[in-house]
Amino acid sequence: MNIRRVIVNFIFLLASFILQSTVFRALDFGGIAPNLLLIFTASLGFIKGDKAGLLAGFFCGLLYDVFFGAYLGFYALIFMYVGFLIGKLHEIFFSNNVAIPITFITIADFVYGFICYVLLFMFRNRFDIKFYMMNIIIPEVVYTALVAIIYYPIILKANNKIDEIEQRSAKKFV
Amino acid sequence: MSPIIKRRGEEFTLPSKYLLFILTVLCSALILITFNTNLFSGPLNSFAGVFVVPFQKGITKVGTHIKNTTDRLESITKLLDENEKLKAQIDDLTKENTLLWQEKYELAHLRELFELKNEYAEYPMVGATVIGSDPGNWYKSFVINKGSDDGLSVDMNVIAGSGLVGRIIEVGPSWSTVETIIEDKAAVSGMVLATGDNLVVEGDLQRYKDGVIRFSYLHDDGDEVTTTNKVVTSNISSNYVPGILIGYIEDIQDDSNNITKSGTIRPVVDFEHLSEVLVITELKKKAN
Repeated sequence: MNIRRVIVNFIFLLASFILQSTVFRALDFGGIAPNLLLIFTASLGFIKGDKAGLLAGFFCGLLYDVFFGAYLGFYALIFMYVGFLIGKLHEIFFSNNVAIPITFITIADFVYGFICYVLLFMFRNRFDIKFYMMNIIIPEVVYTALVAIIYYPIILKANNKIDEIEQRSAKKFV
Repeated sequence: MSPIIKRRGEEFTLPSKYLLFILTVLCSALILITFNTNLFSGPLNSFAGVFVVPFQKGITKVGTHIKNTTDRLESITKLLDENEKLKAQIDDLTKENTLLWQEKYELAHLRELFELKNEYAEYPMVGATVIGSDPGNWYKSFVINKGSDDGLSVDMNVIAGSGLVGRIIEVGPSWSTVETIIEDKAAVSGMVLATGDNLVVEGDLQRYKDGVIRFSYLHDDGDEVTTTNKVVTSNISSNYVPGILIGYIEDIQDDSNNITKSGTIRPVVDFEHLSEVLVITELKKKAN
C-alpha cells in the first residue's frame, strides 16, 4: 500500500462526492444525476483488484452515509460489495480497452439501483417496479455510463502514473 | 505461517475475503449502533465539515451559474412550442379567471379568519442557503450552510416562502441535512384548515413526478373536505410546529374501508428550485 496512491484516490473520492452533490445535481436530466461514487468504486476495483475495490467502496459508502444515510454503514455495505465483485473481474478481464470496464460499470450501477429499490422501497410496499425502473434506475444507468466514458480513463491514467512512479523508485533501490 | 495473515517479505497482507468479512461485520455493527444511538455522528460530522462542505459551498455557486446558462439555451427551443400552447390556454384562462375572482373574495375572507401570516411571524427564524443535494436519485434531502454553530439542532422545521419544506435530520458544526416532506420516507401529521380534520401527509416519489404528494387517514364523515382546501401542520404532530402551510388538496378518494379517505396534495413550495430557506429555531415541545 503506497501512501501516494492512498492520497490520490482519497482526492478522487472527495471530488466524486462533491461533484455529484453539487455540479451534477445542477446539471441533472429530469431530476436524475449520475452516480460518480459508483463509477469510482467500480473503476478502482477493475483497475487494482478486489481489495482496492472493496476499500474504495467502503469509504465511498461511508462518506455518503455521513451526509445522507439514515443509518451509518448501510451504503458502505452496498458499495463495498459492488467494489469487491467488480474487483473479482480484474484478473479475468483487465485490459486497457475502455469498452469492457464501461460495460461492467453500467451493470454495477444497475445492480446498485436494483438493490437500493429492493431495500429502500420494495420493503415499504412500493411494488410498482416498472415505474421505478423507467424513471430512476434506467435513466441513472444511462447517464452514469455516459459520464463513465470520460471519468474512467482519468482514474485509469492516474493509477497507471502511480504504478510507473512506484516501479521507477523500486528499481532505484534494487 | 497462519492461513489468515500471510507473511510476504516483511509486509503483512490480509487476503481480501477476510478484509471483506471484517468490514461487513463492522458495517452491520455500525448500522445496529446508529439505529439506536448517534454515537459516531460527532467526529464524522466534523470531518465532513473540514473536507467536503467548503468545496460544496464554492461549487454550488459555480454550478448554479452553469445551470442558468444551459437553462437559457434549452428554453429557446421550448419557447416556440410553448407559445402556441399558451395561445390556446389564454381562452381557457379567461374563463377560469372569472371563477377565480369569485374565489378571491372567499380567500381574503378565510385569511382574515385564520391570520396564517401572523402566526408564522411568532416563530424565530434564521435564513440559510442550500449548498448540496442528495447525490442519489431516490431521496430529495439537501444540505444547508448553517449548523450547530449557528444554533441549529435536529428536528428544527425548515420553510421556504410560505410553505413547509421539511425538517433537519442531521447537524454538523457548519452544515445540516434537511429531509424534505416530498421524500418517500417522510411523513407529516397535517390538518385540513377549513374543517380541522387530521390527516397524514406522506412523500411519494412516484406521485411527485406529477408535482403532488400523498395524504391518507383523513376522517371526514360529513364529506366537508373538498379539493383546494388548505392543509397545514397539525397540533398533534410530533416534530413540526403547528400551523405551517403544506399545500392544497388536489384530489380525494374514499378508502376501501369506507372510514378514512386518502388522496393527493399539491405542495406550495417549489422543491426543484430551492436555494434559500428559513429555519424555525423553535422546537416543538415534546412530552418526554
